[in-house]
Amino acid sequence: MPPRQTPTRLFAVPPTFLCPSIPRQHLRTILSITKPIPKPSRFNASPHLPVLGTSHTAALARKSRTLPLRTGALAIKKGMTALYDAESAKRTPCTVLQLDRVQILGVKTRKEHGYWALQVGAGTKEARNVTRPERGHYAKQGVPLKRHIAEFRVKDEAGLIPTGTNLTADLFSVGQYIDAKADSRGMGFAGGMKRHGFHGQPASHGNSLTHRAMGSAGASQGSGSRVLPGKKMAGRMGGEQVTVQSLRVMSVDRELGIVVVAGAVPGPKGCVVKVQDAIKKPWPDAVWPPTEVVEAMREGVEKVPAAA
Amino acid sequence: MSVTPSTTRPLANLKQAIRQCRAERAQHRRHYAAATESLYPSLQTRYPPPTPGFRPSQAIKQNRFEIGLRKIPVIPPPPSTAKAVPDPIASLTSLQLSTLDPASFRRRLFSALNPDRARVGDILLVRLKSGEPFSGVCINIRARNSPIDTAVLLRNNLTRVAVEMWFKIFSPGVSGIEVVRRKEGRRARRAKLYYMRLPKHDIGSVEGVTRTYLRGRQGGAPTGGGGGANKGKKKSKN
Repeated sequence: MPPRQTPTRLFAVPPTFLCPSIPRQHLRTILSITKPIPKPSRFNASPHLPVLGTSHTAALARKSRTLPLRTGALAIKKGMTALYDAESAKRTPCTVLQLDRVQILGVKTRKEHGYWALQVGAGTKEARNVTRPERGHYAKQGVPLKRHIAEFRVKDEAGLIPTGTNLTADLFSVGQYIDAKADSRGMGFAGGMKRHGFHGQPASHGNSLTHRAMGSAGASQGSGSRVLPGKKMAGRMGGEQVTVQSLRVMSVDRELGIVVVAGAVPGPKGCVVKVQDAIKKPWPDAVWPPTEVVEAMREGVEKVPAAA
Repeated sequence: MSVTPSTTRPLANLKQAIRQCRAERAQHRRHYAAATESLYPSLQTRYPPPTPGFRPSQAIKQNRFEIGLRKIPVIPPPPSTAKAVPDPIASLTSLQLSTLDPASFRRRLFSALNPDRARVGDILLVRLKSGEPFSGVCINIRARNSPIDTAVLLRNNLTRVAVEMWFKIFSPGVSGIEVVRRKEGRRARRAKLYYMRLPKHDIGSVEGVTRTYLRGRQGGAPTGGGGGANKGKKKSKN
């Protein structure tokens, strides 16, 4: 056999395009200095493509017209009275709503939560009646304990207020419109006439013991030989959230902490009402926020220290 | 540590014996605790041991549930508007009345504390900002839970047609209320004089009485003003 000659090499180091491609996953590198490998997206989402309907961007865009620009407040319904107009002698029945220890407890941001909102609290609570996880949340936010908590969604970050800010009655201005949400008065187990406005049966002319009954529950064989689902019948009525829209603010008193709105608000006296700018009226020119908030926002403060 | 029973004091050594037992028990407990410390150092708590005589049931009865747990800081609540102003509706009413009834004329005219107040059965004359004044016998004074909505019901016969009208006494539309004539005889024995709707008790038209009253107020005509007894009562107006 002739002596085997060593083959001459073309390159000392083969160029990259000739090397076999090794997927980056199989490379053993120092993760802390290499860039993370982006996960392949299931969806066709990219800055160059139109916004997908199932995305936070699209969802917020859909709601942008009906989300208020600024926060609302939690108020207690104190009762109803009437206001007389001195010039026209017109009498307007009004509901008095009182703000008690209302503070911002936290903010929700698009980056962290997918939407913009403010967590608002009202009232106070015994520390021993608040669970430790809840107490931890309050301690972390640097705010006192609250009895009632609710979130108020806002359109974008311009409506956010630093945590710890006290909300007072002059958040709302006289003449603006608000929406009031509260749990309606519970009517208990209500009959058909009260619950659905059934007409009942005649009071006399031989009617025996059947003055307020439901009557028939539907057709017979033609309707499936059954009572159709959703048939209006007697049952529990009330005790659910009701929104009354576009109530005019008649009077605001910061010292008394009251907002007087024209008309009626759902719920009994002493119930908690969520009050926010009316979505079916032009957004109000906010006289609020007060100086302390403005200064905090200018300084870029995220939390306003809770004043005792 | 002798345990000799005494004849005069048979239970003399009982106390000592109990003390001995307790000491031995404490010794055993300490010995046992020391043993576990060396065997399981990671299980030792970082909290001080309970004081001798401590019992968890006692702590729970004192409402101290969080012994041994990390203390969570609690910020005191801010001052409460609801506590400072428990009845904002009363404040709002008094605020309104200070503008609608600044000299309290109207309030005094219907106040229960005023012996010369307007009562049911009296004939009242209501002057309005716009329109003819209306006079009639007062058959109802409605003062419910909302003082600002206090109203009077006046009944009169205008051209043989009975007319009843409600007037909110604090309304800016009502410019004045005068008592034309007090109820004659004894005071009405009920608060609502709806029996006056029956022909038997209907006093009919009060036009004559009102005209006499107004003439008396203006000039002091011979027939005007009634007797001297009524002179003092007529000054209650507005």
